Amino acid sequence: MIDPLLYFWEILKASLLSTGGGNIPILHDSLIAQGWVTDRQFAEALAIGQISPGPTGLWVICLGYLVDGVRGSLLSLVGITLPPILVLVVHRVYQSIGHHPATQGFVRGLGLAVAGVFLVVLVNLMTSTGISPETIFILLGAIGLGLIRRLPVVVIIVAAALAGIALF
Amino acid sequence: MTTTTVSSTTTLQELFRTWFNIGLQSFGGGTATLTMIRRQAVDEHHWLTAQEFTRYWGICQIAPGINLVGITILIGWKVAAARGATLALLGLLLPSVSITIALTAGYAAIRDQPIVQSATRGIIPATCGLGLLLVWRMARPPIEESRSESSASLALSLLTLVGCALLVGVLHAPVIGVLWGAGAVIALAAWARARARQG
Repeated sequence: MIDPLLYFWEILKASLLSTGGGNIPILHDSLIAQGWVTDRQFAEALAIGQISPGPTGLWVICLGYLVDGVRGSLLSLVGITLPPILVLVVHRVYQSIGHHPATQGFVRGLGLAVAGVFLVVLVNLMTSTGISPETIFILLGAIGLGLIRRLPVVVIIVAAALAGIALF
Repeated sequence: MTTTTVSSTTTLQELFRTWFNIGLQSFGGGTATLTMIRRQAVDEHHWLTAQEFTRYWGICQIAPGINLVGITILIGWKVAAARGATLALLGLLLPSVSITIALTAGYAAIRDQPIVQSATRGIIPATCGLGLLLVWRMARPPIEESRSESSASLALSLLTLVGCALLVGVLHAPVIGVLWGAGAVIALAAWARARARQG
């Protein structure tokens, strides 16, 4: 059973302190450590977020649902909707700090770090599902299909689901 | 921020309807959604110029949270201040969040069926593959940027990427600390480089 207030706080904190998909590794770290989420649920939420409409960042809503039903999804919704409102503040100060080398450096450092830490999340998800010739085949296949421009993600996910049914 | 004075009821309705359609139809991830927003806001409705759109997108990338939600708020605000931002945000989220919750609920109801479990075992590695592509797309621009500066800058970027992965993956360092620490280190390096160029 999760503590709804604490769950909300983890979602809010992760989205406040990162930009774009940067909350993925933060949430993987905090929610799995709390024992509220399994690697399987985490991967499922990311996958549903890829195929549903709107920003991919809505995957946090799927995670909330898998963990705590409708209440969890609504807590997630509020937690991920509040932080982007600060864009209005960033817009105001952007004129004065946006082109400062330190700002540009910070953005670059954050981007590199998110990429590196996201790799760790992916390794964890892969290990949790089991590294075998079959799973590596699907992983490489998804990369290959993902490189095709204009191919909708849902096609890749459906292909992977069919491969899963055939192989496992 | 400057707001345009046209905030008649028709404009507000148009704003809501436009974002509702984006929220409803934008299957296929971030790039597809961004393209759709640009086409509607810049080409169709002339709420902002192409240059403003690019600048807004840059601002969203340093603002907290989902970048697409950020640009929705910025454009809505430009059209009709707080009312515009609220309507644009509601328009984007009402359909997309409802469909997301419905999809998840549908999945949750069948997730323990053996055939669905097999499907999921296929979907997880595919999600990891798509994630690897995302890592590549995130890491490439800063790495190419730093390569054009100097080999020292390139080395620092690669070291940051690998170092952060090892700090979290092997030493289990707290993720938020690692992210902000990396930001601070590269910020200092960029600042020092700029000062050296001037001096």
